[in-house]
Amino acid sequence: MSVAADFSVEACRERIARWQPRINAFNRLENTPLGGGAGPLAGVPLAHKDMFYRAGQVSNCGSKIRRGWVASETSTALERLDAAGALQIGTLNMAEFAYGPTGHNEHWGDCCNPWNPDYITGGSSSGSGAAVAARLVFGALGSDTGGSVRIPAAACGVTGLNTTWGRVSRAGAMPLSHSLDTVGPLAGSAEDCARILQVIAGFDPKDLVSSREPVDDYLSALADKGLRVSISTSWIERNAEAEVASAVLAAARALRSAGTTLVEVEPPEFDQLSAHCITVMQSEASAQHAPWMRERPGDYSAAVRARLEAGFAVPAAAYLEALRLRGAWLERFCSRTLSDADLYLLPAMNVRVPTREQTGARGGAGMPKLLAEVSRLTRWVNYLGVPALVLPCGFDSNGLPIGLQLVARPFAEATLLRAGHGLQRATDWHRRVPPG
Amino acid sequence: MNSWNPEAVEAALASQGIRLAPGRAAKIAAALNASAGLADPLLGSLAFETDPTAYALALSRCSAK
Repeated sequence: MSVAADFSVEACRERIARWQPRINAFNRLENTPLGGGAGPLAGVPLAHKDMFYRAGQVSNCGSKIRRGWVASETSTALERLDAAGALQIGTLNMAEFAYGPTGHNEHWGDCCNPWNPDYITGGSSSGSGAAVAARLVFGALGSDTGGSVRIPAAACGVTGLNTTWGRVSRAGAMPLSHSLDTVGPLAGSAEDCARILQVIAGFDPKDLVSSREPVDDYLSALADKGLRVSISTSWIERNAEAEVASAVLAAARALRSAGTTLVEVEPPEFDQLSAHCITVMQSEASAQHAPWMRERPGDYSAAVRARLEAGFAVPAAAYLEALRLRGAWLERFCSRTLSDADLYLLPAMNVRVPTREQTGARGGAGMPKLLAEVSRLTRWVNYLGVPALVLPCGFDSNGLPIGLQLVARPFAEATLLRAGHGLQRATDWHRRVPPG
Repeated sequence: MNSWNPEAVEAALASQGIRLAPGRAAKIAAALNASAGLADPLLGSLAFETDPTAYALALSRCSAK
């Protein structure tokens, strides 16, 4: 592909110098870009969440505990981007150990929303969302365990893809919850996400849950038409804030005008599925962190330590019950919600983007409930292990983006990207750039 | 039924070598009690033989291909 002058390394560096003091998206900027060469992403400047390992380079994982830790291997996703000619120009801020939905980080400083720094970027791929929104890079890798690609994409007004569990290798990426972790791209459009996904998707013997399902031609699939999309309109009207519901339903109408058939369905059991996601995530994350939680609990932020503590109290039987039920819930979603449709459409978040104060340590009595709302509509997707695309569909009265979410059957990333591309041909929300 | 209390949580985590931050035991006990009575509606129909690996088969069956 040819890279527009807007995304030359020099232009990106100039914008980073301007934006970094305001949004704190980068942890490190490379003097000489890493990777590069010939390939489908030749010369394309990217930066990635600071948890994708590169041999000989530091991966801090947004933490104090791993500050300065040098990786001995390179993640498969970065190897594939390198082989495709992409340039890595830096590493991006993230929530501590990818365990937080807002973008707060007391060790590395909060990442701030480019549309208004008082507001959250969403997390845990906070720097990925902010950097892509401010057009500091063409695209970025994030990870998604309960919404960590999609929440930043929604809050920052960019396009983010949560991939099917096993579609993209997690080898050499920091683990949070092995049953739920996925790797996916954030970029300015569905088409640009397709360009990145094309390179990173596919079987990898180094990740034992990596799938052997064939990889589609995502760019060619963008042109196809004739999708059916299910939606739960009255649920959205009852449960989402009015401005969110209005924007999401307007986007659904835009899809219909562009040739998509809308089908009304009962909503999936979001809260039941979310509860299972939390059970699995807490159990696995706490097991992963057990040695550090025993030896140096004071080196975690209070919020992450609290989340990890909770996981040690989850009964083993409850954890295994959630995993035993997972297949049955996936089959139910596909046979009911998608029985007559290719995709399911819903908001990325029911609430408007909150401020950093509302969702931080001084957020007050309403903070836990607001925090739960931020990820209420994303966690269930990770429990099912299905792919989901978030893309911008409007702005709220505070001037912050509103995100729409499309969810598909396993390995139907091509269908998601096709629907997203169709919507982005009919609207221009994805072309809006924060002033400055 | 509130089967968990802060002391029980404190003891359960201490047995795993985890020292709780102050005030956390009561919050964890409350969360455990809130979720303890919630039965999954699919549990009753789940085959006795089902184990967590059934998910991999479901993923393949439900695939878009």
